[in-house]
Amino acid sequence: MRGTGLRTVGAAVLVVAVARAVRAQSTAPPAPLSPPSDTDILETLDERLRVESVTTRITSFDQFGHGYQAQGGPLLGPGSERATILEPQLEVVASQGDRLRHRLWVPVDFVTNASADAIDVVSNASRHVQAGSLDWASTYRLDAASDVTMSSGLHLEEPFRSWNAGMGMTRSFADGDTVLSGNLAEVLDWFDRFDIHGGRHGRTDRSSTTASVGVTQVVTPETVVNVNYGVTLQRGELGNTWNSVPLTDDQRGPEILPVERLRQAVVFRAAQFLPWNGALHLYYRFYADDWGLTAHSIEGELLQRLLPQLYVGALYRFHTQTGVDFFTTLANPNGSLRTADSDLAPLDSQTIGGKVVVDLPPARSVPALHFEFGYERYWRSNDLHTNVVTCATGYRF
Amino acid sequence: MSSRPKAIGAGRRRGTMGRARGGWALGTRAVAVGLGLATLAGGAAGLAGCATVAQNRRGHLADPMMSLTGESLDAARHQKLYDTREGAAGGDGATAGGGCGCQ
Repeated sequence: MRGTGLRTVGAAVLVVAVARAVRAQSTAPPAPLSPPSDTDILETLDERLRVESVTTRITSFDQFGHGYQAQGGPLLGPGSERATILEPQLEVVASQGDRLRHRLWVPVDFVTNASADAIDVVSNASRHVQAGSLDWASTYRLDAASDVTMSSGLHLEEPFRSWNAGMGMTRSFADGDTVLSGNLAEVLDWFDRFDIHGGRHGRTDRSSTTASVGVTQVVTPETVVNVNYGVTLQRGELGNTWNSVPLTDDQRGPEILPVERLRQAVVFRAAQFLPWNGALHLYYRFYADDWGLTAHSIEGELLQRLLPQLYVGALYRFHTQTGVDFFTTLANPNGSLRTADSDLAPLDSQTIGGKVVVDLPPARSVPALHFEFGYERYWRSNDLHTNVVTCATGYRF
Repeated sequence: MSSRPKAIGAGRRRGTMGRARGGWALGTRAVAVGLGLATLAGGAAGLAGCATVAQNRRGHLADPMMSLTGESLDAARHQKLYDTREGAAGGDGATAGGGCGCQ
């Protein structure tokens, strides 16, 4: 009995001792920790390429009309400008760390009756053309207020090669209320020289240099505006080389253009949020060049959100331009400059269109989705109209 | 009936062919460039006087409907539609030239 009692007392003492030890441990102050590093707080920056969005868009242009530069008609009358163009586009936006952002853009054109202006009438060389471009732009954030963008691209087409490079910079002020931007871009085109009978005569080229500056301003919590001015200087062969001009001697002759063109434009844009969950966009552009062409373009677009994920839009645009000084539909064979290109004629054009846009928020393992469908009709006062159907799908990761 | 067309377009043409042949005189170019810059500077100066809008009041501006230039691929196809059918491409940041030889 005595042995059993001692064992019971011993067990009780042991339990009490363990309980005290546990209590003592739980009430003891924690061991000092080393201060957290920046990496602990901000997490390690991932410098690998991370795709942010992928967008595809396919657009069809179905064009009807006639122009005096084209030969698909009476000898001295306007020829057909019928063309159909299918244009898929792909855009991939990716980030690399928190400062670098890339944009890859690949537009492709599948064209039937590609050179509707004239040459398909005299040569089948470009009746069906596939053309593609590859453009890459990288934007580096210098600091919280400044970005610099470098871009380059390549355009390939059967009789045509083109390279472009550009540089741009933006700087924001007043907590982002004001953003100033400047861009420089250079395009070099290198292409076959044709005559109006479809024969090839070596290669020719042109360059286009563009500089532009702009300012974007948040005016109110519902209003933002932008003003942009740009100048483009082009040098070299400025036509497509196969446009023809009806002549007074009952023949057709080649288009003759100056070898230099200075083009300037001022653009004003505004976006206004509307109280009924809509938005109004206004656009005005004034253009002038030293070929004597001046143009005014005005556009308005009304957008209305019907559901949190769905909005619709309606667009109207009016454009008017004077012709270039040397536009004619019947030229003197001995004249030094002449064109019958309907694009360079005095004309008015209008566009009316609408679109439906759906933006679905991300769900589990599914990125945010963007869908858009739109239709536009474009028509000109000098016998040309185009039906445009476009459809876009985007993924936002 | 003659198939010879009547010349059109002369009514809205301005200036002389000599001007187009030689390009604008340097002074005229400078004035044109100056006008453009003055327009921009004036616009910037006017806008700079606007009151600052706090970050937490810009919710409406973040709506995709409020994007000034719209979705980039949509803007690109609009530019293509107009640049290849009107003689007024280039000048506003978008380059003229580059493809199809019709600008």
